[in-house]
Amino acid sequence: MTNNNQAGIYIHVPFCVRKCSYCDFYSRPLPDKDDLERYTSKLLREIEQQAGQWANRCFSTVFFGGGTPSLLEPEQIHRILQGLRQHLSLLPQAEVSLEANPATLDASRLQALKSAGLNRISLGVQSFRDEELKILGRIHSVREARQAVEDIVASGFDNFNLDLIYAIPGQNLDDWQYNLQSAVNCQPRHISAYLLQLEPFVPLARQISAGRYAETGEDLQADMYDATVDTLIGQGFHHYEISNFAKPGSECRHNLIYWQAGEYLGLGTGAVSFRDGQRWKNRETVSGLPDESDSGMIDIEILESMNQHDRFVDAVILGLRLTQGISRQQFIERFGIDFAQEYHAILEKFRRDGLLIMEQDRLYLSRRGYFLSNQFMAELL
Amino acid sequence: MQFTGALSDREMREQFLDKMDLEREKGITIKLQPVRLNYRARNGKTYILNLIDTPGHVDFSYEVSRSLAACEGALLVVDASQGIEAQTLANVYMAMDLNLEIIGVVNKIDLPGAEPDMVKQEMENVLGIDKDEIIPISAKLGTGIEDVLEAIVAQIPAPRGDEKAPLQALVFDSYFDAYKGAISYIRLANGELRKGDMIRMMSSGKEYEVIEIGVISPYMTQVEVLQAGEVGYMAAAIKNVADTKVGDTITNANQPAAKPLSGYKEVKPVVFCGLYPLENSEFDKLRDALEKLKLNDASLLYEPESSDALGFGFRCGFLGLLHMEIIRERLEREYDLTLLATAPSVIYRIQLTDGSEVYVQNPSRWPDAQRIEHVMEPFVKASIMVPNEYVGTIMELCQEKRGTFINIEYITPHRVLISYYLPLAEILFDFFDGLKSRTKGYASLDYELHGYQPSDLIKMDILLNGEAVDALSTIAHKEKAYYRGRALVEKLRKIIPRQMYEVAIQASIGNRVIARESVKAMRKDVLAKCYGGDITRKKKLLEKQKEGKKRMKQIGRVEVPRDAFMSVMDIESDK
Repeated sequence: MTNNNQAGIYIHVPFCVRKCSYCDFYSRPLPDKDDLERYTSKLLREIEQQAGQWANRCFSTVFFGGGTPSLLEPEQIHRILQGLRQHLSLLPQAEVSLEANPATLDASRLQALKSAGLNRISLGVQSFRDEELKILGRIHSVREARQAVEDIVASGFDNFNLDLIYAIPGQNLDDWQYNLQSAVNCQPRHISAYLLQLEPFVPLARQISAGRYAETGEDLQADMYDATVDTLIGQGFHHYEISNFAKPGSECRHNLIYWQAGEYLGLGTGAVSFRDGQRWKNRETVSGLPDESDSGMIDIEILESMNQHDRFVDAVILGLRLTQGISRQQFIERFGIDFAQEYHAILEKFRRDGLLIMEQDRLYLSRRGYFLSNQFMAELL
Repeated sequence: MQFTGALSDREMREQFLDKMDLEREKGITIKLQPVRLNYRARNGKTYILNLIDTPGHVDFSYEVSRSLAACEGALLVVDASQGIEAQTLANVYMAMDLNLEIIGVVNKIDLPGAEPDMVKQEMENVLGIDKDEIIPISAKLGTGIEDVLEAIVAQIPAPRGDEKAPLQALVFDSYFDAYKGAISYIRLANGELRKGDMIRMMSSGKEYEVIEIGVISPYMTQVEVLQAGEVGYMAAAIKNVADTKVGDTITNANQPAAKPLSGYKEVKPVVFCGLYPLENSEFDKLRDALEKLKLNDASLLYEPESSDALGFGFRCGFLGLLHMEIIRERLEREYDLTLLATAPSVIYRIQLTDGSEVYVQNPSRWPDAQRIEHVMEPFVKASIMVPNEYVGTIMELCQEKRGTFINIEYITPHRVLISYYLPLAEILFDFFDGLKSRTKGYASLDYELHGYQPSDLIKMDILLNGEAVDALSTIAHKEKAYYRGRALVEKLRKIIPRQMYEVAIQASIGNRVIARESVKAMRKDVLAKCYGGDITRKKKLLEKQKEGKKRMKQIGRVEVPRDAFMSVMDIESDK
C-alpha cells in the first residue's frame, strides 16, 4: 500500500506524428520544434505554480505519457525533471518512466534520455506482425521495434516494458502466441497486454462497423487472455494486475499508485490530477498548448469531488484490479468502512459464482474473475 | 385554423391538433381533438364552426364513432396520392349510419404523385359520393380551404336543440389535469351551462359544481356560458376519474332532463396482454396511471393479475395492437414508468370435458390438455385494399395465416378489395408487417370481428434453465407449433445476453421439448485498461452497465431483457 503522502507525477505530452486507428486518448498532430519548446516552458511554469499546493506531498514516481512523449528532446525532458526536483519533493530513487514509440528512438537519444534521469522505458510495440501494426495505424514497423529494444538494452536501461495489444482484427490465437513469445524473447522486465477495446468513434471501430474488418469474438478474446496469463506466468512473470505482468519487483510503481487509489499530480494539457478526494483535469485544447486564464493558471475542469464513501468505492474498484486484491484491515483504517460488511450480499453472490475469493483479510479476484470483473465492479457502484 | 385566423402564421405548426408527442413522432392521430373556429363566410355572415379531428386507424374507430355521434356532418379527407384505404370504408359507413352529411375532400393535391381525378372516381365508385362535389385541396398550401369552409356552411345543418330546455350535454371525451381534476369535452344537445351551475352526472346521479367552462379555439378559452349546439370543455372538481364517464349525459341538478342522451355502446377489447412494472415497487404507481389513462381512453380495460416470473401487474385489454403499443408508450412517458409487456393474446373459448366453458385470455391460465374438449378462437373478416399486382402475394400470405377466402372486388381497374376470414390471433402477430413488406407499403387493412370458430390450438411453454416461464407461454396452432417453437427459441437465444452461466432455452408442449437452444456462458466483461487519466470515465461506463442491468428482469438466475416478452410476437418479421 502506498503511503498517503507518497504521490506520483504524470506528465502528458499530447502530440503524435499520427493518431493510431484505435486510440481514444487526447492527442494533437505534431507541432513544429518551436511548439515543443513552448510546451516545455509551459510545463516548467505549471510545475512552479503547483509547487505550493503540493508542498506537503512526497513524490516517488514520474511518468511521461501521451500522446507520444518521446517526441520531446532528451534535453527538454532533462529540464522538466530538473524543474520537478527543484520545486517538488521528488524522491532520489523515484521511478521515472517514459512512454516511447519505437520510431522515435535511436541509440544516441536513448543515451541522452538515460543521462537526463530516466530509468524506465515503456515501449509501444503492440504487435510483432507488420500487417497488424498496419491495421492499428502505427507509425513504426516490427524491424524498428526490434531495433528500439536493442538500443534500449544497449543504452543501459535494464527496466523496460513492452506494450502489446491482442484481438486485433484478423488475429488468431497462434498469431497472438507468436507476438507474446516474441515479446518474452526481448527479455523485458514488464509486459502490458491489452485487449483491443474500441470506443465507437475511433477510426478502427468505424472500419469494423463498415465491414472492412471482422470483430474478434468474445470466446477468442477470452482464449487469448487465458493464453496470455498462462504463457507469461510460465515465463516467470508475476501477473499483478488484470492486464499487467512483471518480473517480481519490477511492477510499475507509478501505475500501482493509481490502483491503490494514491494521489497524483497531472501536468500538461489534458492531464488529470487526484488529491483529497478530488479528480480534476487540465482542459484539453485544440492546439495542444494549454489554455490559460488571465492569471496565467491552467484552466481546469473538476471531474469528481468525492466524499469518504465515494473514495472508498473508488479504492475498492481500483484495488480489485490488482491480483493481490484489497486488505480489509487497511480499508477500515483508511476509510473507516469494512467492505466485507458494506458489500456483504454482493460479495457472497460473486464468491458463490467463483469470481471473487475472500481469504481472512484479503479480497481478490479469482482467475475466472479477472476477465469478468465488470460484472461485480458495476454492482459495487 | 390558419385561414380563419384562429392561429397566427407564427403559431402554426404541423399537426397542431396532435397534442401528444407520440402522435407527432409517429405522424398519426390517436386522440380526437375538438376545435372551435369563427368563420366569416362569403355571404357576409359569421359562423361558429365546431370541428373534431379524429384518427383513422381501425384500432381507434371508437374515437371516430364518439366524435361522429357529437356532430351533424363529416369531412371525409382522402389522400390524393394514396387513394381510399380499407379503414376509410368503415369510417364512412359509420357516418352514414348516423345520417351525417358527408363532404368529400381530396387532400395533398400538391404532391408529385397526386392523382386527384382518379381518387375522386374511386370515391364515387366505392362510397357513392358524387365526384363533381368532391373538393380538391392542399392543406399545406392553403389551396381550396375556403371552398371547404363554404361547403360546411352551405351543406351541414346547424345544430338543432333548445336553449330553454333542461340541460343535456354529452361527454365525448375526458382527461385528467393535475390542477383542475377531470376535464370533460362536452357537446350540448339542449339547454345551457354556466360557470357555478350545479350539475348531475345522469349515470351515477352524483352532483358537482361547475368550476370552469370554455371553448377550444384552439387554445382553451374560458367562457361564461355554453348553449345548445356548442362544443366545449368543463371542469367541475371531479376528483375521482371514474365519475366522469365518456358517453354519460350531464344535466342541471336543479332542473334535470327527463332522460339521458343515447350514449355510446361499450367497446370490447379484443387484444390482451400483461403489463408489469419492471420494479415491483411501482405496482401502485401503475394502477394509478391506468386509472387516469382510462379516463382519457374508455376502451382500455385492466384487472390485476400475478405471474410467477413477473410478480404483480395488470392484464389489460385493447382494441388492437397499435392501441396496445400506444397505451404502453403513454404509460411509460406520461407516467414515468418502466414496463414489461407480455405477448398479446386474444380471448379463447374453451369447452371443457366436464361440459363447462372457460374464457382464457392469458396463455398461462390455459387448462390442462386432458381437460379440454375443444377450443374456439375469434375470427375476423379482414378487408385488404391493394393495387392489383399484389393480389397473388396477399392471397399467399392469407393462406399461410390460416385464412379462408371470401371474395375479391375490383374497386377501380387497378385496385382491389380482398376479403378473408382470418384468426384474429394471426393478425396480431406479424400479419401487418407482412402485408406492408409484400406490397411496398401499398396495402391497407381493416377488419371486424366475425365470431368464434373451433381451432386445433395448443399451449406452448418456454423454459429457461428447465423452469417454465409463465409470461412466455403462447398459444399456437398444432400444425405450426413446431415451427413456432423453433423460431421462438432461436429468437430468444439472440435476445438473451450471455450470462455468468450457460442458459438453456427450451420450447415444450406438455412435457415434450420440441426445440432447444442455449446461450453460452459469458467469458468477457472487463475494462482492459484503467489508469489515472480515465478512472472517472471508466466508472461512468460501469454505471451505465449497472443502469442497463436495471432494464433486465431477473427470472430465477437468468436476466431477461424486457423486450423478450414481446418478442414472441414478431418472430417472423426478423427473417
